[in-house]
Amino acid sequence: MFRYVARRLLVAVPMLLGAMSIVFFAMRILPGDPCLAMMGDQATTEALADCTQNLGLHRPLAVQYVDYLWRSVQFDFGKSFRQGYPVSEYIARMFPHTLVLVLSSAVVAALVGIPIGIVSALKRRNPLIDYPLRLIALLGLSMPVFWLGILLLIVFSLRLDIFPLIGGGDLDGVIYMLKTGEVFTSPGDFLAMVGDVLHHLALPALALGFTLAATVSRLSRSAMLEVISQDYIRTARAKGQGERAVIYKHAFRNMMVPLLTIIGLFVAIALTGTVLTETVFTRPGLGKMLVDAIGARDYPLAQGAITVFTMIIIVVNLVVDMLYAVVDPRITYR
Amino acid sequence: MPSPARSRFALLSVAVLAVLLTFGLAALVDPPAADAQKKILNIAAKEPESLDPHSSILGQSQAIFRFMYRGLTRFAIKDGKVTTAEVEPDLAESWTLSPDGTVWTFKLKKGVQFHKGFGEMTAEDVKFSFERQIKRLPGTRFGVNLGVIKAIEVVDPHTVQIALKAFDPIFLLRMVGYQQGYIISKKAADKHGDQFKWNPVGTGPFYFERHSPREKIVMRAFDKYHGGRPQIDEVHWYDVPEDATKLIGLEKGTFDLLYPEAVTADVADQVKKMGAVLDRRGPGGQERFYINMTKPPFDDIRVRRAFMHAIDRKAIKETMYPGDLARVAPSCVPPGYFGHVPMTFPEYSPEKARKLLAEAGHPNGFTIKNYFISKSFFYPKVLTLAQEQLKKVGINVELQVVEHATFHENIRKNLDPFVLYGGTRITDADPWLSLFFDSKEIPDPATGNKGTNFAHYRAIDDLLVAGRVERDVKKRAAIYAEAQKRIERDLVCLPISDVPGTWARNPKRVSTPFDPNYGEFALHYSYNYPEMLKIIH
Repeated sequence: MFRYVARRLLVAVPMLLGAMSIVFFAMRILPGDPCLAMMGDQATTEALADCTQNLGLHRPLAVQYVDYLWRSVQFDFGKSFRQGYPVSEYIARMFPHTLVLVLSSAVVAALVGIPIGIVSALKRRNPLIDYPLRLIALLGLSMPVFWLGILLLIVFSLRLDIFPLIGGGDLDGVIYMLKTGEVFTSPGDFLAMVGDVLHHLALPALALGFTLAATVSRLSRSAMLEVISQDYIRTARAKGQGERAVIYKHAFRNMMVPLLTIIGLFVAIALTGTVLTETVFTRPGLGKMLVDAIGARDYPLAQGAITVFTMIIIVVNLVVDMLYAVVDPRITYR
Repeated sequence: MPSPARSRFALLSVAVLAVLLTFGLAALVDPPAADAQKKILNIAAKEPESLDPHSSILGQSQAIFRFMYRGLTRFAIKDGKVTTAEVEPDLAESWTLSPDGTVWTFKLKKGVQFHKGFGEMTAEDVKFSFERQIKRLPGTRFGVNLGVIKAIEVVDPHTVQIALKAFDPIFLLRMVGYQQGYIISKKAADKHGDQFKWNPVGTGPFYFERHSPREKIVMRAFDKYHGGRPQIDEVHWYDVPEDATKLIGLEKGTFDLLYPEAVTADVADQVKKMGAVLDRRGPGGQERFYINMTKPPFDDIRVRRAFMHAIDRKAIKETMYPGDLARVAPSCVPPGYFGHVPMTFPEYSPEKARKLLAEAGHPNGFTIKNYFISKSFFYPKVLTLAQEQLKKVGINVELQVVEHATFHENIRKNLDPFVLYGGTRITDADPWLSLFFDSKEIPDPATGNKGTNFAHYRAIDDLLVAGRVERDVKKRAAIYAEAQKRIERDLVCLPISDVPGTWARNPKRVSTPFDPNYGEFALHYSYNYPEMLKIIH
C-alpha cells in the first residue's frame, strides 16, 4: 500500500508540472495585456511601460517560466497583479468557502441522488415510480446551476425572505474562533456564526447539490442495475433472503466501488460548478476568484488557483483509489 | 434487534432531517442586536482592486477612495450644486501664486487628523503624497498628471510650496481630492510598504476597518474628521459583479445604494418600479468615434464625411440610453469641461453619404474586415447599431468581438480604421485634447507608443502648447474653441452620447442634499461628499 501511494505521488509530480505549464502558457497565449486590462483607456505609454516593468513582464518568457516554476516549488505563487495580496494567502482565505460549498453540495447530491438512483433501479419495472424519478434526474441534468440559482434566489430570498441574497457568512470568524480556542469561551457566539454561515450556504448548496444529484442518481442507477444482475444476487435470493437484506447487505456495498469512482469525478464536476454557483450567489471562493483572475489577466492568481484545483483533484482521486481497498477487500495494491 | 438494512435506512433519514433542520434553523438566526442600532450604509458595487488612491483607475476603486481620502482642494458647492468648474479649499486653508505663475504656496488647515492614530496631517505628508507619484513608485498611476511639478518644499509643518516647471492653468484642479490629488499618511505608507493598498490611511470621513476578499469592505465613521463626524456609522461595500443581483438586493432592502455596471433602459425601469431613484451626475463619460485620417479609405475627407452622414447619433443614443438616461454629445470636449463649445457635425443623411462615397471612388461602398471591438461595456451594442447604419450606405463592417484587454491592445496597433472609445478625465480641455489629439499620443507599434490619438491628428499641437502657458481665462477658452473648430473642420471625431455617472439609491433609506438630476458633478464615479449622505429611519 505504502509503495503504491508513493508511486502515485511520484506520478502526480509530472502531472502537476504539466498542468502548471499549460496554465502558464495558456494565460500568455490569451490575447490581452494585464497592464492594459488594469488601466483601461487611461493607460499612457509611460504608465504601461512602468506597469510591465513592475510586474516583471518585460523579461523573456523562458525566464518568467523558470522563475514561476522555481518559486512554485517553494510554494511561492507570487502576488496578485491586481490586488497585491500574496497568492497563497489569498487562496488560503478563499479555499474554506469553496470547501464548505463543495462538501455541502456533495451531501445534498448524495442524499438526493443515491436514493433516487437505487430506487429507480429497483423499481425500473414500475413506471409510476421509475419515470417520475428519472424525470427529476433529467430536470437536474438539463437545468443549469445559474438558472436554478437565480430561481432559488427569487423565491426564497426575494419573495419569501428566508435566506440572504449574497455573501458567504463570517467563515473567517468561525475559523478564527476555532484556531484561537474562543469556541470554548464563547460557544454561543460561535454557534451563531456557524448558523450564519449555514444560512448563507443553504441556497448555493441546494442549487449546486441538486444539479449534481442528477448525475449521481443516473450513475448510481446504472451501478445498481449492473450489481443486481450479478450471479451472487440471484444466489442470495435463491437462498431465500429477504429483498431488503439482498439490496443493503449484498448489492449496496458492491455498488460502492463504481460509486467511489463517481465521487472522484464528482469533485472535479463540483469544483467546476463552484465557478458558476459562487458567481450567481455572489459568494467568495476559488471559483469566483478564478473567473475574475482570468478576465483581469491576473496571471499569478489564475495560475495559483488552477494549481490548487489540480492538486485537489489529484489528491481526491488518490484517496478514492485507496478507499477501493477499504470497501472491497478483494482489491489490493502492490 | 434491528436489521443492518433497517438501521442504515434510519441513519439516512436522520441525516436528511439533520441537514434540513440545520438549514432551517440557520434561517431563523437573527443578526446580533448591536448591528441593528448602527446606521449602516450597504453598497453594492464591484470590489476595488486597491485602496491606495494613487494606484487604481477602475471606477469602483475611485468611487470608494472618496470615502477615505481628501485633497488640498475640492469641487465647489455653489447654490446647492456641486460643480467641476470651480474649486474651493479642503485640506488647504488658502493658497497664493507667485507673480511669475510658477510657485504655489498652500497653507494647510491645522488639526486635520489621519485615521487610526497616524497623527496630524502636515506639509511632509503633502510632499510625500505627490513625490511618490512623480517618482512613479511601483503601482502608482497618476504621476503623469503631476509632471508639471519641479520641486516641493516644506516651509513649515503647515505650509508647503510647490514650484512648477512652467505656469499650469489647471494646477488647482490637479489638487482636487481625485486621483493624484489625494493626500495619504507618510507614516502609514512607510510602515505598510506595498501593503498600504490594503492598510489605507487618509483624512476622509470614513476609515478602513476590514476587507473580506471577494465579499465586502467595511468602513467606519471617523470621529475626528475635520468636517465633522458623518451621520452614517458604517459603510459596507459589497462585491456584487452582477447588475441583476444588485437590483434584487435594492428591492429586498439588502442594499441602499448601487453602482450599476451599465444603466440600461431596463435597469432604469426596474429602479423606478421599485420606488428607487437614479442619482445622475455629470460630466460622466463620453462615447465617441475617432477616425484614423492616415489610413485608406478614411484618409479621404469625403469618406470621413460620408461616415458621419451615415451615423444616426440620436438613434444610437436613444436605443442605448432612452430619454434622460444620457444626452446626444454636442462636442468632442464634453460639457462640464473648461473650454467646451458646441460643435457642428454632418447631419444624418444616408443619401449624402452614398453620394460622397461614389465621388470618392466607392460607388458600391467597401468592406472593413476584422474590425475589433470589445465585448464589454457599451462597445458591442453601440458598434452593432453603427454597423447597421453603415451597412445602409454600403460600408460593411465585419466585427470581431474580443476581450476588453485584446481590444485595447489591437486599437493601439492601429488595426481598426475608426475607433469607438469612452472615458472621463480632469475636467479641462487641456488634458482631454492632449490625450486624444496631441501628435505625441499617436499610437505606433513600431516605436511602442501606446497613446490614444486614434485619429492620428496633428493639427492642434500649436494650440495645445499655447493653451498651457496662457494665464488669461478668456484667451484660454478661445484657444480651445479654435481647437474644436479645427477638429470639426477635419472631421476626425464624432461624439455620440454624454453618459452621466449614475447610481441607484433607495430614497426611503438614504438621503442626499443634492438634486438627483445633475445636482452633483463628480469625477469620482461616486458621491463627491459621501459624508453628506444620511440614513433615514
